[in-house]
Amino acid sequence: MDRPLSFEDQLAALLPRLRRFAHALARNPSDADDLTQMAIERAVRSQGQWQSGTRLDSWLYKIMRNLWIDTIRSRSRKERFEAPPDEAARHGEDPRDKIEASIDLKRMVAAMQRLPAEQREVVALILIEGFGYRETAEMLDLPIGTVSSRLVRGRTALLAMVGEQ
Amino acid sequence: MTEDEKFFAWLDGELGPAEAAEMEAKLAVDPRLARLAEQHRALGSRLKSAFDPIATAPVPNHLQAPLRPSEVIDFAATKRARSMPSLPQWAAMAATLAIGVLVGTFVPQRTAAPVEMQGGNLYAAAALDHALDTQLASAPVGRVRIGLTFRDHAGEICRSFTQSASSGLACRNGGRWLVRGLFAAPEGQASDYRMAAGMNPNLATLVDSTIAGGPFDAAAEKAARDEGWR
Repeated sequence: MDRPLSFEDQLAALLPRLRRFAHALARNPSDADDLTQMAIERAVRSQGQWQSGTRLDSWLYKIMRNLWIDTIRSRSRKERFEAPPDEAARHGEDPRDKIEASIDLKRMVAAMQRLPAEQREVVALILIEGFGYRETAEMLDLPIGTVSSRLVRGRTALLAMVGEQ
Repeated sequence: MTEDEKFFAWLDGELGPAEAAEMEAKLAVDPRLARLAEQHRALGSRLKSAFDPIATAPVPNHLQAPLRPSEVIDFAATKRARSMPSLPQWAAMAATLAIGVLVGTFVPQRTAAPVEMQGGNLYAAAALDHALDTQLASAPVGRVRIGLTFRDHAGEICRSFTQSASSGLACRNGGRWLVRGLFAAPEGQASDYRMAAGMNPNLATLVDSTIAGGPFDAAAEKAARDEGWR
């Protein structure tokens, strides 16, 4: 009598993890939730492109990562002409305050933000999301050696930033 | 792979057994390397524990919206249940918790209480038990109204019901009706409950996660009753 889990069921189950990934990439909580929302909407719209039997999580992470890269690119074009928005004004209500079971979160987010994007995504996928090197390389369309060397640089820089705190 | 990369690949469990053994031998004689491994392990667990609360926090409603049908759940919507999302786990847990609260506030009216605890489970009793056994959705009698009848993923028959200010879901279990969820009716709907006007959202969510296939039509409901809800 069992029905297979629908696409939406599976996406809903992955949503909390996907959101964690967004928070590791984005520069502030509202950007992270915007990114999550865009990724869900994109996934629902393009669900025909997901091949049943392949990993849905990798496919979703890849969607989110590509949207994030697009956002960074368009922002850097824009910011060449505009002053960066004031940090305090941008934040508004910070939803992270509500989920800040770990007082370390803000500190770690700040440190992640200081990593170049190419290192940040690798650190987030492997050290936070728990993907293997090969899975990460496939998601990012990179040679595994590139993933491995970016990971070394990223985690070494992170340790230097937060190691003694 | 550079030596650095090899060291971290070892730390992440990415090396084969031979190379891993080689790296462990190196660490055994190099305290600087051993300390570095320790620092990076600590960094890894610190990152995980900093970000994990995001993955365990409830996802804001607006982010889940694209995954939910927007219409009120009614018969037609439930028939389309195949394409509906299931509830998040925490909602099911909240539904279960609601039982305890409601059992305590269930006021027996002249007749016996409609539910009873046995072996840690909540079963339908008295008028509710009788209604679940005999009533059809099309023919409400007395205080209890039957809503949907369907099979769950284990193949057991389940029925949703409304009794005065509460609504719930009961499924067959060892020849009895095990109450899977019981919810207070929304304000103002206590005496005016209509299935099509909107099932209690918690109940709708519970039904959605429980139902396998679609709900029974009137003929299937009657046939199931005649066969003793097997």
